[in-house]
Amino acid sequence: MTTMAPTIRRERLQGAGLDGALPYLLLAPAVLVALAVLIYPLWDGIRTSTQFYRYGRPLRDVGFGNYIQLWTDPEFLNSLWVTVSFVTLAVAIEAVLGLGLALFCVREFRGIRLLRTILIIPMVITPVVVAIVFRLIYASDAGMLTAFSEALGGAPVQILGQAGPAFLALVALDVWEWTPLMFLIILAGLQSLPVEPFEAARVDGAGPWRTFVDHTLPMLRPVLAVAIVLRTIDAFGTFDQVFVLTGGGPGQSTLVLSIFGYNTAFKFQETGYAAALFVTMGLIVLALALGAVRLLRRVEAN
Amino acid sequence: MLRLARAAVTTVILVVVLLPIYWMVSTSLKPNREITQDGTLYPHAPSFDNYAHLFSQKQFGNFLLNSVAITVVSVALALTAGSLAAYAIARFRLRFGLERWIGLSLLTLRIVPPVVILIPIYLLMLRLGLLDTWLGLIITYTALNITFCVWMMESFFREIPLDLEEAAMVDGDSRFTAFRRIVLPLAAPGLAATAIFAVIVTFNEFLFALVLTATPRSMTMPRGTATLIGRIDTDWASMSAAGVVGALPIVIFALLVQRHLVRGLTMGAVK
Repeated sequence: MTTMAPTIRRERLQGAGLDGALPYLLLAPAVLVALAVLIYPLWDGIRTSTQFYRYGRPLRDVGFGNYIQLWTDPEFLNSLWVTVSFVTLAVAIEAVLGLGLALFCVREFRGIRLLRTILIIPMVITPVVVAIVFRLIYASDAGMLTAFSEALGGAPVQILGQAGPAFLALVALDVWEWTPLMFLIILAGLQSLPVEPFEAARVDGAGPWRTFVDHTLPMLRPVLAVAIVLRTIDAFGTFDQVFVLTGGGPGQSTLVLSIFGYNTAFKFQETGYAAALFVTMGLIVLALALGAVRLLRRVEAN
Repeated sequence: MLRLARAAVTTVILVVVLLPIYWMVSTSLKPNREITQDGTLYPHAPSFDNYAHLFSQKQFGNFLLNSVAITVVSVALALTAGSLAAYAIARFRLRFGLERWIGLSLLTLRIVPPVVILIPIYLLMLRLGLLDTWLGLIITYTALNITFCVWMMESFFREIPLDLEEAAMVDGDSRFTAFRRIVLPLAAPGLAATAIFAVIVTFNEFLFALVLTATPRSMTMPRGTATLIGRIDTDWASMSAAGVVGALPIVIFALLVQRHLVRGLTMGAVK
């Protein structure tokens, strides 16, 4: 009955005559734009991914050829590995730091408003500019690290020229930029938790660690899961920061999938192959999102 | 003891967040020699020469103008079309459950990462002759924002009780008047949160701008800034000044609308 009532009322609201066309008129602009600029390109992208291109021109239909080639292409596999390790490392660090900070800030204290205001800055600054900020930190001539090192009598710092350090430098950038988002989401989650279990725990004489493991963490799990999934999906497509910071180098040490795809399409003009790569990326993200939704349902059911 | 620990942690966070930004600002105020050779920790003779150079020689004013215009127009279009659709989805029952199908399709489209349509959008704009124009970017950004606007606004419209609207219509308001008098004011915070989020994302967008624009007449700020980055010889002076000027509008905007922003950021996750 509770589910029926709104339905009946909605129908009453709908009225008759010209009013019947109203919802369609309201939906039309958004649906038309989505059809023309999202769904048609999506279909076109899948079609392109089955063609063999040379110098930006389609030569012949190759079916799943591009996809098969993809999974035997060492460059793609390396790129996939770089992306997965970048996402895993960055998101793990962000989750731990974000959770720690949120627990630290959950009780109001002086200075928290300033802290929250300041923490907004990294995530709203244009990603291209964030990358410039970090190039200015790492650069061996103009860099902040070099300047500090030299002020203390040390040598210039070399970071972006070497594979391992460049990769970690990229992770550090992501952590700087996105830990605040993790922090804000987890803090909002913490503040929406019920108070009673914590009071009960305190009455029972449970220490802070026990309270955290027994109460905070289980109740926070859905929020934590959503934050991690959102961040993972977002980090998987990281492009701007890598493009400006390292361009994928040195060698292929920071060549994430989106950069690899961009180079394939717009530098080497292998349009079909790049389309196959982007469609594969889309499928991976879609699978991640669907998996996350199922996981969440199970967490909520428990 | 606890108070001391809090002060210490707060200080560390402030330093970690602000020191990199300080360095960019400080670099932008130094002459070239001081940047690359002396490596001074602060500008010894601060000047705005780098900024003047940026606007007089590098057409940075153009980039900013393009960014603002393209962002405002595409967010306004997406918000209008998106809100209308969201209202229809939240309030009407259509044949075959059409409104639910549309809502679900738009949500699915939202999950698909935009890179998937990067190549086809490029090919589309190439065919339409819209490469390197404002219109090409406006169309693209409107579409990318629309799914988000529908999704956000739908949840806001659903929160507004149907009774209020019905009561107004019983009192003799037309549906349109009821919408304007009752729904719109109640949905205003939602509209603001959605618009703010869309503005930030659009103003910052780089990948599509990189592919769809080629000359300063249509390049946006992030796109124009990236052209300053040479692979071999880096013009740190221009780059740091561009970073400061590029970041300033959006940081000021974000700090002004802070409350709406935090709600928009965390809403989906906590609900």
